[in-house]
Amino acid sequence: MSGARRGRRRGVGGPRHQRAARLLAAVFLAPTVIGVLVFTVVPIVGSVLLSFFRWNVIDSPRWAGTANYREMVTDSTVLVSFTNTLLFMVLAVGLQIFLALVLALALDGRLPNWLRTALRSAFFFPLVLSAASISVVMKYLFNQDFGVVNWALGQVGVSPVPWLTHETWAMVAVVLVYVWQQFGFSLLLFIGGLNNIPREMHEAAAMDGSTGWRKHLHITLPLLSPTLLVASVVGVINALQVFEQPYVLTDGGPGDATRTVVMVIYQNAFEQLRFGSASAVGVLLFGLILAMTALQFRLSRRFVHYQ
Amino acid sequence: MSSTGRRDRIGPSRRALLRYGAYGATAAGVAASWDRLTGADIPGRGGDALTVATLGASIDPAAQRVLREGFERLHPEIKVRLIPVQATDWPDFFAKILTQIAAGTAPDVVYVATEGVQLFAENLGVALDDRVRRDADELREYFADVHPALVESMMYEGSLYQLPVEFNAADMYLNTSVLGGAGLELPAADWTRDEFTALLRELRSAGGSGLTPYYWTNRLWGGVVPWLFVNDTNILSESKAPGGRWLWDEFYPADLAAGRGGGYRWTTPQATSAPVAEVYDYLTELIQEGLCSRPEGGGGNNLVGVFSTGRVGVTPAGGFWAGGLHEAGMDPAGYDVRFFPRWRSQRHQFGGAGYALLRTSNKPDEAWEFIKYSVRTEVLEALFQANQTTPARRSMVDAARYRETGPAGWRTFYDTLDAFPDTGPIPAPPRVTEVELALTKHTSTALSSPGSVRSALRAMQNDLEAAMERDL
Repeated sequence: MSGARRGRRRGVGGPRHQRAARLLAAVFLAPTVIGVLVFTVVPIVGSVLLSFFRWNVIDSPRWAGTANYREMVTDSTVLVSFTNTLLFMVLAVGLQIFLALVLALALDGRLPNWLRTALRSAFFFPLVLSAASISVVMKYLFNQDFGVVNWALGQVGVSPVPWLTHETWAMVAVVLVYVWQQFGFSLLLFIGGLNNIPREMHEAAAMDGSTGWRKHLHITLPLLSPTLLVASVVGVINALQVFEQPYVLTDGGPGDATRTVVMVIYQNAFEQLRFGSASAVGVLLFGLILAMTALQFRLSRRFVHYQ
Repeated sequence: MSSTGRRDRIGPSRRALLRYGAYGATAAGVAASWDRLTGADIPGRGGDALTVATLGASIDPAAQRVLREGFERLHPEIKVRLIPVQATDWPDFFAKILTQIAAGTAPDVVYVATEGVQLFAENLGVALDDRVRRDADELREYFADVHPALVESMMYEGSLYQLPVEFNAADMYLNTSVLGGAGLELPAADWTRDEFTALLRELRSAGGSGLTPYYWTNRLWGGVVPWLFVNDTNILSESKAPGGRWLWDEFYPADLAAGRGGGYRWTTPQATSAPVAEVYDYLTELIQEGLCSRPEGGGGNNLVGVFSTGRVGVTPAGGFWAGGLHEAGMDPAGYDVRFFPRWRSQRHQFGGAGYALLRTSNKPDEAWEFIKYSVRTEVLEALFQANQTTPARRSMVDAARYRETGPAGWRTFYDTLDAFPDTGPIPAPPRVTEVELALTKHTSTALSSPGSVRSALRAMQNDLEAAMERDL
């Protein structure tokens, strides 16, 4: 009897079973890991390598050392595109999160359920549309002479705004179109975050006399801070890679006023056949995104609180 | 007893029968749909078809059938696969073709506009010289029907790379309803820049805030460039490559061939020269007076709608606009066309297009048959029924073509070439994408205020110099 029991115990926890479990785990993980390797890691490595060559896709690549990086540092278009992209990021992500937060709090208040659902769907809908097709429509709406936006402003006595052809207004127009499309994602995050706050916390705050804006500032925001972190990280990553809106709306203009880093990458690679230069800019953008993400996670240690 | 009974069963079990039946059905289904699963039922798919890439937006499905089926009727042994590539404009189209080349799926033949002629010729195209000479008798009628300026625009360093199929020069479209509302007549063919300016001022006075007298799009074709041409200048200095006599002596009489060479060379940037600055000063003045707006970039797709509804008085466009305005519901009498106004000269700019044979092709002879086919009169008639371009063949630009769509002044389209033989292509060297970017980028900043012109042109000059010096 004791012998039988000992044998059974060894069988259950035996080496063969452990090996089988590990093999099974590896089999289940393989599709995802292989997918990440093939579609993410290999292209990144390829892009880094390509940044040390000159290649026009027609002839064989030629070794160029760090020439692509040196040229990039002295290219005023590249430098302007990074400045534009950072400015765009600050404006777009800031406005996006602010709008999403205000609307999420409004939707969290007293509303008929049908209205709440309808508004959530309406705000989310732009996100599922093609950014390029939205920008084509917006290009008509924002036209200085014939656009509906300027027609509407004219009805209230405002002079026509050169939305797409003035250095400052072009950036404003691109930010507005981008935020209009993207903020639905942040809104979803905040709605989820608000739903995650226990009702007792609000009741306890109310008992202590904290209501309205004071409640939002001292109770809701700290409890939403993990959600804010996610919204901020995702928003920054997306904004640094913006392309469709400035490409379709303003073609990077006027001048270089709305030219972004990804536009420069696209133009260098596919319009000018300078794949090495484009890869070098891509590597730099990759580094910038990594740095911005790391910075946010570091700041999160101070500002993000968990229940 | 029960065990014995089970062993005694005869034939497969019901479960086994169902399983094998499913296997059989699956195998039959796979076999029946093998062509669909492997894509073999796609016409021309696979390595043996001649692949032809065209700008998707400019050729409709019916026209594609004409192009493919007519050719296959003539050459039953050659299968054709047409690849319509959707693109917003020519640079976008070339970017997509180059992407296909990078991916190793290069087409055999590509429809290439002036914007890409030299880019393709220098790096990707096959010179057609030997084939043209060999088939000279077959092509003589074609060359007699095509203005030599169009042919010259498709040459590079002495060789011919494409046969012109279509072209569009930047003439001026005038909205006759808007002019009538201001009490104005159509201008004369030899109108001057100052008469043009006076016309805009009259339109401005009569039209009010809802009217834009002059509207144009910032791009290589039809933006600033027509004004540079009539001011006898360009952003890059022009010259002719040597050679080309093999073509001019064979196909054109001496008077038409005089001055023709082996294709254009655009070399030294001269954006800071006085005539160029003069053009920008003039356009800035128009903007300051409210006679036009700072131009947007892009293809000008929204322009048809606002012109046809009378919110624009005048705009540069080519023959391609006749069909667009017609489809927008404009009455043929509602608009007309004139030459571009004269300044120091009345030299016009144009862009053309034709099929280029790529070096990567392993079917050059079949491709050449297609290129010859593409310029036949009956093929062009079928392709250009909608008047969305101007045929390269003079004989096709006739009253019947424009009876339904207008304009009344349709003769202007081809007369632009005959009346001004020095009319030439937009500046499109092999570095054309960087040239176009430098032009459009700094044009938009130059026109922001009168004080911006000189600094923007200096920046344009720097960009052009960097572009022309760079190895591809």
